Amino acid sequence: MSALTRRLTLPLAGGRYDDKSLVIALAGLVLMTVGAFLSWCYNPNVLGNLTLTGNPGAVQIYLLGFVVVGIVLALISRGPLGRLKPYVNVVHGMLALGLWSLAFMVLVLAVIAVQAGGLVNADPGAWISLTGTIVVVGAAALGQTEKTQDMIQLRLAGWAEILVIVVGLAIVLFAAAYALGLNDAATFVLFLVLVAGLATAFARMEFFTWLGIIAAHHRTELLLASFLAAFAFPFTQSGSNANMSIATQVIIFAATAMGLNIVVGLAGLLDLGYIAFLGAGAYTGAILSHSAFATIDWKPPFLVVMLCGGLISAVFGLIIGSPTLRVSGDYLAIVTLAFGEIFRFAMFNLDGNNGPNLTHGPNGIPAIPELQLGSFDFGASHTIFGVVIPRFANYYFLLLVLIGFIILVFSRLNASRIGRGWIAIREDEKAAEAMGVNTFGLKVFAFAGGAFLAGLAGTIKAHHDVSVTPDQYQFLESAFLLAAVVLGGMGTVGGVLVGAVILKLLPEKLRFFSEFRLLLFGLLLVLMMRYRPEGLVANRRRQLEFHEDDEELADDVESIHIEKVS
Amino acid sequence: MDILQQLVNGLTLGSLYALIAVGYTVVYGIVQLINFAHGEVFMIGAFGALSTYFVLFKDTTTVWALPVMIIGAVAASVFTAVLMERAAYRPLRGAPRLAPLITAIGISVFLQELVRLFYGYIPGFPDAKSRIPFPRIDVVTGPAFDVGGLTIQRPAIFTVASLALCGVFLWYFINRTKQGRAMQAVSQDPDTARLMGIDVDRVIVIAFALGAALAAVAGIAQGLQNSNIDFRMGFMAGLKAFTAAVLGGIGNVAGAIVGGLTLGVVEALASQLGSTTWKDVWAFVLLILVLVFRPQGIMGARVVDRA
Repeated sequence: MSALTRRLTLPLAGGRYDDKSLVIALAGLVLMTVGAFLSWCYNPNVLGNLTLTGNPGAVQIYLLGFVVVGIVLALISRGPLGRLKPYVNVVHGMLALGLWSLAFMVLVLAVIAVQAGGLVNADPGAWISLTGTIVVVGAAALGQTEKTQDMIQLRLAGWAEILVIVVGLAIVLFAAAYALGLNDAATFVLFLVLVAGLATAFARMEFFTWLGIIAAHHRTELLLASFLAAFAFPFTQSGSNANMSIATQVIIFAATAMGLNIVVGLAGLLDLGYIAFLGAGAYTGAILSHSAFATIDWKPPFLVVMLCGGLISAVFGLIIGSPTLRVSGDYLAIVTLAFGEIFRFAMFNLDGNNGPNLTHGPNGIPAIPELQLGSFDFGASHTIFGVVIPRFANYYFLLLVLIGFIILVFSRLNASRIGRGWIAIREDEKAAEAMGVNTFGLKVFAFAGGAFLAGLAGTIKAHHDVSVTPDQYQFLESAFLLAAVVLGGMGTVGGVLVGAVILKLLPEKLRFFSEFRLLLFGLLLVLMMRYRPEGLVANRRRQLEFHEDDEELADDVESIHIEKVS
Repeated sequence: MDILQQLVNGLTLGSLYALIAVGYTVVYGIVQLINFAHGEVFMIGAFGALSTYFVLFKDTTTVWALPVMIIGAVAASVFTAVLMERAAYRPLRGAPRLAPLITAIGISVFLQELVRLFYGYIPGFPDAKSRIPFPRIDVVTGPAFDVGGLTIQRPAIFTVASLALCGVFLWYFINRTKQGRAMQAVSQDPDTARLMGIDVDRVIVIAFALGAALAAVAGIAQGLQNSNIDFRMGFMAGLKAFTAAVLGGIGNVAGAIVGGLTLGVVEALASQLGSTTWKDVWAFVLLILVLVFRPQGIMGARVVDRA
């Protein structure tokens, strides 16, 4: 009996148990692939065209994406990638992959049933693929892991690790550009299922923890690569203003959320009126702009305006932060909420009838002119390397610089004495104070610093939006920012970016979501707090605060910490 | 005379705040949790009353509808409050302080949207995306009374009378019944109370239900006063009521009532003296000042140490 046949023989005939699981999984993957190359639906108008045999449509290619990762897993288990085997939990990865691809196929069939009128419209190809996914799930459930070591102990050559980072970022860039270009809601959702499924599979293999470690080892390369990727983004959009407008909104939102993350994620102070800081910056930007409705006659250059916006916001931050000397916890949250509402009412009332005319009340300040830095007009389209860079792309580049600055401030603060002070305050304020941490000073600084950053973003937002009105800065927006921080992961940069992208992108791309957006996000807050309070991209240390009894996690955090330091 | 009239208006408004504030204070006194979604319980109460009216008394104005509407409102509110305690707050007991507050914001937004999006789908019910007129009921709505130059609206009498009745009921419940004493015991020391054989979970549910019942009554009172309700009514009313609860000393039931009445009068007088558009700002300024300088409130003896 050759080695190959012995490997493929079932346990009854004398083979080894874990081989059986792998073979079944491979069979499932083959079924999925075969199905993907067959027709899925009689009706060519559902989900693009899925009727062709041998020429897979977009949605069928998504399924092949699952298959590719599945094959990589199989190769790790038996084959050329065997070196990774002790580190990777193949079975967990395969199970996640199987379950998500199953969900994917069920969703596809549901879409076919709804859009084409009944499941009869589904072709055998779809059923074959569905069977394949079920087989994969079953195989993974039978399997036993051979993982013996933690993934974080895996070390590749320096260039290989950098390659992983670069390839990863390129995939993110490509996926983002591709997703923005999708106009069909059902296809978009299916693409999201693919992304979520692959992300879950990799997370189950502890790939992201490992990624975090190698990212920490190659910080400079990572930063460079991510900004290159972000700068390349407008060039993938071939001059589409609509997509760039979504992208700029995401960045403004993310920049503000990052500021909030300093207050909530690092210092552990709940701020429910944070949108007021963005508002303060935006109003400053509007009032000091060349708008005919601006109420102050001082027109400094934009960089000065930005600084003013940041500083005025920071002063508000100082005022809001000062009660932290006396109140904390829930009471502080209520105080910040009250301040936020006062800000909105004040902007509403300073219209000349009920107070001095500063903001034109509910009408706000319209007709804010385009930004002009030197001779560069942000309102006009430019052509670089043959690609048209429209209005929103100009703002996109400016905002990118801003968010880069904010991320830099955030991560430098986080790694500094100040950041450690904040974490100490968050975990136990009394103990921190006893250890000599200047709790009041640090808390006020968190408020003022976060507010300053939001104020900077606000001044750009004023020009970006063209007008500023009080109702843009209501409580719900603060709650929305908080949701982004909570969803992504308090105290992490990546998490907040993920959260902001999810919360801003989904309603823009899906009309369904824009109607049910608030309902879903309310539910999301509740479910996240109940099941994953540390967020999607968890900061391990923060995770430990939410799961104090988890001994295994505590050991993990300790070993990662040592790993990062060494 | 104007001042007296404003005093009457203020007491009416204050009674409404007080009815809601009791819910905050009772729950806080027992689990040290600010149930931020309590404003929404009040809103659900108003919609519960409206639904009862539409189902049973559509196009009538008989006063006999009122008690049934109150029952409907209380049922809707209590159901909502108990459900949220069971599903969202109970699993978070012992979690870091931020968790329940964030959950509460989620519940609050969720309930508002639930009513806004789906109320209109129930057959026979109007769309809730804009204001819905609240039914006119004999006796409690109609021409105002004129007492020596003072205008007293009929719904105002209903509101103040409800507060008085509920106050007496609360006093009796807390001081004279077994469950009430269990509540007192838990609020003083939950661990010892548990050792004495008190079912703490049950007491917490009762606290939520008690607050919800009073909020439901407030919901009807608000509907009768403004003659319309909408899905947003809970947010501002909830915040004001929370202010009232803090003003009176959170955790102290009598304090909630005193705080509510005080806040109502202060607001009414402030709008008499200054401009009405800044009225809400003063309420928030008052809230901040109380939280910063006298977090134990007017009557609260509880030492606030909240980390």
